[in-house]
Amino acid sequence: MDVRMRRYRTDEEVDYCIVGVGAAGGVLIQRLARAGFKVVGLEAGPFWDTERDWVSDEAGSHKLYWTEPRVIGGRDPLALGANNSGRGVGGGSVHWAAFTPRFHPSDFRVHSEDGVGVDWPMSYDELKPYYELLELEMPVAGPAYFPWGHPHGYAYGPHPMGGVGDILIKGCTKLGIRVSAGGPVAILSGSHGDRPHCIYRGFCIQGCKVGAKQSTLISHVPDAIKNGAEIRDNCMVARVNLGKNGRVTGVTYFDPAGRECEQKSKAVIVCGYAIETPRLLLNSACPGFEKGLANSSGTLGHYLMAQAGNVILGRFDELVRMYKAPPAHALTEEFYETDSKRDFARGFAIQTVGPLPISFAKQMMVAKGAWGWGMRKVMMDYNHWAALGLLGEILPWHDNRVELSEEKDKHGIPVAKVTFNLHDNDKKLIEYGKNKVMEVMWAAGAEEVVQEPRYAHLVGASRMGSDPSKSVVDKFGRTHDISNLFVCDGSILPTQGSANPGLTIQALAARTADYLISQGDDVFTSSSRSMERPPVRKNLSPPGTWGKGVPRLT
Amino acid sequence: MSNLKLASDLKAANSKLPIDPATGKPLPPKAHPGYYPGFSTLGQKGFWDDATRKLIIQRVEEVPPIRFFRPDEVDLLKAVCDRILPQDDRDNAHKIPIVNGIDQRLYDNRMDGYRYEKMPPDGEAHRLGLQAIEAIARQMYGKPFVELGSLEQDTVLKTLHDGKPPAGQDVWARMPVNRYWMLLVQDVLEVYYAHPWAWDEIGFGGPAYPRAYIRLENGEPEPWEVDEQPYAWKAPENSLSGKNELISGTSEHGATPGQGGTH
Repeated sequence: MDVRMRRYRTDEEVDYCIVGVGAAGGVLIQRLARAGFKVVGLEAGPFWDTERDWVSDEAGSHKLYWTEPRVIGGRDPLALGANNSGRGVGGGSVHWAAFTPRFHPSDFRVHSEDGVGVDWPMSYDELKPYYELLELEMPVAGPAYFPWGHPHGYAYGPHPMGGVGDILIKGCTKLGIRVSAGGPVAILSGSHGDRPHCIYRGFCIQGCKVGAKQSTLISHVPDAIKNGAEIRDNCMVARVNLGKNGRVTGVTYFDPAGRECEQKSKAVIVCGYAIETPRLLLNSACPGFEKGLANSSGTLGHYLMAQAGNVILGRFDELVRMYKAPPAHALTEEFYETDSKRDFARGFAIQTVGPLPISFAKQMMVAKGAWGWGMRKVMMDYNHWAALGLLGEILPWHDNRVELSEEKDKHGIPVAKVTFNLHDNDKKLIEYGKNKVMEVMWAAGAEEVVQEPRYAHLVGASRMGSDPSKSVVDKFGRTHDISNLFVCDGSILPTQGSANPGLTIQALAARTADYLISQGDDVFTSSSRSMERPPVRKNLSPPGTWGKGVPRLT
Repeated sequence: MSNLKLASDLKAANSKLPIDPATGKPLPPKAHPGYYPGFSTLGQKGFWDDATRKLIIQRVEEVPPIRFFRPDEVDLLKAVCDRILPQDDRDNAHKIPIVNGIDQRLYDNRMDGYRYEKMPPDGEAHRLGLQAIEAIARQMYGKPFVELGSLEQDTVLKTLHDGKPPAGQDVWARMPVNRYWMLLVQDVLEVYYAHPWAWDEIGFGGPAYPRAYIRLENGEPEPWEVDEQPYAWKAPENSLSGKNELISGTSEHGATPGQGGTH
């Protein structure tokens, strides 16, 4: 980047300290810097040079994931790392497949409508302007008409189909199921500013070296730095510090040399995602907050969610070559909503996935029990296989949680212990959804269909809500307990629908930014808590957002 | 393997080579097994970006030294890997080194970012697993694993795949059999299918930045890829891994969940 980054002294009190510059942190820091706040982002991982650091290679992309120690348990332990946890500037948005469906209006009223989970403290209409904003800022490529949830269209054109997308369309069409082809996905179908369009090389989840797939590293962070934000990479925050007046005073972190440092700030926003956010707040326990900072409700760390992410694999007589095209390029949300004819609440989506050889081999180990000559043989047929992903809603349960382990990381900070159990509704949903995806695969003409159970994405564990005794933050991400401490990331989601959470996480970050800007200095000085809805600020978007696309939305 | 040994292998009834179902005879080892003869991902390296090219060439040319495992463990793990993913159909110049890759991961302490509560750290799990495999071999055949024939070795390993090991109970008290099996197999897969020779074998086009893929539908090859030319083969008679059967799982709903990241 040709702009020199502003540097703050650690003893200089900044306005906002942002912990974690990932999907949410990247959008938030860009907004706050544009609005003129002094803002420092602390990121545990590196600031990537995409041309030098990233490769078109599965095994060589290990460093993109959160590989620091964590412990997993429960009846259905959640695999972490490459599945759902990013590290470095851009966070998970660096290695997401970049599907960007919106949540449906029903997602915000799950308890009212279906009697399960919990309602959000806001409606779809409150988030809708931010969906529209982020779809242009990322920007999102997709069809002109997307029929599910609140129907809408995309300004940027859809992508061409790959072999797996064709199979999804073929199978669904035979069964009378509608498909969204060519998106919605945050991958450029045409060039945008200094970012080139997609080259269909298929390595989306290994980090897009092309620059076509959105990550906040390339869509928002450059603008944040131009506007005076400082991002300190390889800095691991150990705790949020509480002052005598019941307000936070900044954070203590380990710098790249392993030295303990303190950054003073008038407010702190934790953007560490569903595992590291609760871990940090639990590790910040102090007198007055013995159970963890901002945890008077006792819900911090609880109601962690993952989505059912079974991969259904079909072998076809003809060649597919599923390594080409972005893994994410077609989906259906026909089964998203609760259906009284089924014996469970909520629903699921079906999406294209495109496992590369190592991932595919691991799937064959599970789905077929393959090893030895059997593995060699099925791998020689790699180009005949197609993979579709179930994305199923798992409900928020109190016993699915993040706690602190006895084990410590290299800085001596207790690591997270993640416990996960499927409940009855989840199991019924997975069974039904898995069978439906298999039915689609058969309908497309597969001669063999197998499946690998797994999970995708992480949200919850620092949930938002109106009742301070049942949630950690309010609808703007402000902790109920401490007026200058905020959480802004996937951990605040009360429920998750069966949409990939990336767009919603970034839209919530833009909304929280608008709220903070509207509150001005009150956040730093006052303990009053305005619940007034802020105006939607369109003048804070990164350059090149407006006046483009068809139709021109300004 | 000398030419003399190779010739005897081709004749012997207990050949370790895959069989041509039409003739019932072993297929001779190849430099490039698989259905895409003449396709070389490395041959495309001039079209790759610098960082990718450097990494892949290093992977092929610089086999990492052994630094984590002890020599006796190396011999045993080598014999195990030769059955977890046999390479008898590859000629000697084109066998992909597996143990060195696993050793490097453990030496560098390159972890996946999570540890099952009931599992020890990966390096310790590998050491314990090897002890148990040796104990099973001695229990079943009264001989060290490395001295067994391939069918006997497969029989030992299949007890892990099936979750019913007849020995090593002190080890299995410290880690679930199926978790160890998955750790072992995944570590082998991660090394083998990261190698460009394996990509050539399965017809994976490999890195394509900045050149791009253009032919996205109907399984069409790029102009620089080749058409599939399948041939029939079946696993050697004296092996057990040719037929796929599900791993024994602990999960209540079907198979044990996978751990690869896809979406």
